[in-house]
Amino acid sequence: MNNIIKIAWRNLLRYSRRTLLTSSLIAVGVALVIIFGGIGDSFKSEVTGILTNSNLGDIQIHKKGYVGSIDNLPLDLAIPEGGKKKIEALLDNNREVKAYSERIRFGAMISNFVQTTNIRLTAVYPEKESRTCPDLVKRIKEGDSNPDTFVKTGSIVIPQTIATGMNLKLESDVVLVATNKDGSVNGMTFKISGISENIMGPQGKDGYIHINDAKSLLRIENGEITEIAVKLKNFNRFKTVYKDIKNELSQMRGEKTGKPAFEVHSWEELSPFSSIAAIITLLIIVVRLVLISIVLISILNVMMMSVYERIGEIGTIASIGTLPSKILALFLTEGLILGFISAIIGNIIGILILLGLSAAKIKFTFGMMDLVLAPGIPLNEVALTTIIVVVISVLASLQPAIKASRMEPVEALRHI
Amino acid sequence: MSLIVIENAGKDYISGEVKVPALKKVNLSIDEGKFISFVGPSGSGKTTLLNLIGCLDKPTEGKVFVSGVEVNRLDRKTSAKFRGDNLGFIFQNFNLIPVLTAYENVEYPLIMVQNMPPEKRRQKILDLLEKVDMTDQKNKCPSQLSGGQKQRVAIARALVTEPKLVLADEPTANLDHDTAYKVIGLMHNMKKEFNTTFIFATHDQKIVGEAEVIYTMEDGLITKRQDNKIAREGN
Repeated sequence: MNNIIKIAWRNLLRYSRRTLLTSSLIAVGVALVIIFGGIGDSFKSEVTGILTNSNLGDIQIHKKGYVGSIDNLPLDLAIPEGGKKKIEALLDNNREVKAYSERIRFGAMISNFVQTTNIRLTAVYPEKESRTCPDLVKRIKEGDSNPDTFVKTGSIVIPQTIATGMNLKLESDVVLVATNKDGSVNGMTFKISGISENIMGPQGKDGYIHINDAKSLLRIENGEITEIAVKLKNFNRFKTVYKDIKNELSQMRGEKTGKPAFEVHSWEELSPFSSIAAIITLLIIVVRLVLISIVLISILNVMMMSVYERIGEIGTIASIGTLPSKILALFLTEGLILGFISAIIGNIIGILILLGLSAAKIKFTFGMMDLVLAPGIPLNEVALTTIIVVVISVLASLQPAIKASRMEPVEALRHI
Repeated sequence: MSLIVIENAGKDYISGEVKVPALKKVNLSIDEGKFISFVGPSGSGKTTLLNLIGCLDKPTEGKVFVSGVEVNRLDRKTSAKFRGDNLGFIFQNFNLIPVLTAYENVEYPLIMVQNMPPEKRRQKILDLLEKVDMTDQKNKCPSQLSGGQKQRVAIARALVTEPKLVLADEPTANLDHDTAYKVIGLMHNMKKEFNTTFIFATHDQKIVGEAEVIYTMEDGLITKRQDNKIAREGN
């Protein structure tokens, strides 16, 4: 095999300009895949990190049917106190769960005594919410951003859009008017303790109040809530843990219906960004397909030319007794080496460019979010791209190699 | 026992819709250790006959036996193996592998055909290169060698597997007079040393004069056999 590799390598060097051009083409393709993959992964993880750490959490648990009506923020689809305790026991026993936060989400009218508008509110225990969504307080640009006290009873954190629209300042008084699940209306006065910046996503423009205030405003006398957001210790194990929690919760059945009482959703199912992430993944696949085409066509072209130019040589080695299988191996090895070396060069170029981008820490804004482009090295992408290039190189070399191995020596020798 | 036996071998080529007979019912028997020459004008069937003996082509009719094996019945793979084990080839254009050095060209059949381990092949190659006087050129590629040097390497390559038979098609056609004589002398010496049968197809009178047996061919037929009493080898 060493000799086949040696001869294949020297044949590649023999047509050095052609080898260099083909290799460069493949290397550029590989580098583009690596760069695109790295940037795409960086962008996805950055946005995902902001969304899950700022408001969504990694997983959310609701009463069955809640997410289907989530735009209305229905209070009649709340998790009852008994159910809440069971879920909390389950989460407390799960070693993969870092924190969780009970929430009551509802819609209300907010008034500054001159103007009135709609507001979506999330009522939380601030210390639990801060552990579940540690970046939430970073969004509070004015006012109290202490993780344990960012909403106290009687205070409210309002989104930037409402503060600007209604000309509200810190310490201003506002009135919240809300309808509870029985249809009765109640109002309470709050003092603005913070103004938060908006981010994209379903809870990106919510105001925050203390959960005890929500209970008073909505006249909730028992411990029912509408949502539990869950933060995992290791996001890389997200899929496994999500599946486990989903399975365990599916065992909790409604007494009357006998069907699962709760539903579990991942951040991907709740955030519109998951569609963007899917598009990025799709684009990476498209770039990979382009790379496959480049490799297939360029290697096929080079190997066909190589076989055509060396018909006489093939005749010689066949006539002195080289088995057809070895002639096949010789040309396949040529294609494989060309593909492998090109992939390595492309990987090196791609990795160097990604390291440069990572060092540059380019800042940009996406969907009202300030992001920093700091791509890591996508090792899976590097491995996958190398494998794809090598496999396609061998496949592209197959037809010319078979042609060479099946040549009749006597006919091949006539080409000299 | 004869090394080569040819019985009623014929070969037709198809050119468009026309059948062109290149060889017509040839019968021949050649013993081991001979220096044989086929002579005749272009198109007389010399190369076709060499191709049949060398298992490079199959007759349209008749049988070809080499070392007792009916080579016209061998399939592609067995035929390649038979050539590698029993035959050596010398070509008019030398046909060395351009990316390999002289040493590696001689080594090629031992590695790629006979899978000989490195410790066995090294001395063998060096001995043979010395015999063809190419030791000092062993690390040069074919593009750095003269025609005569290339043909000497080709002779070493043909002999390195110790074949019973070496087939040479116009081996001196691309060499000048002096070099051609040296190459012929070299082949003669090799024949004596290894008892290898050499068969040539040639126009070259220098080789014809060196052959022990000369077959003349015309229009696909052997028209004359002549034993050459004054051939080299001192006989």
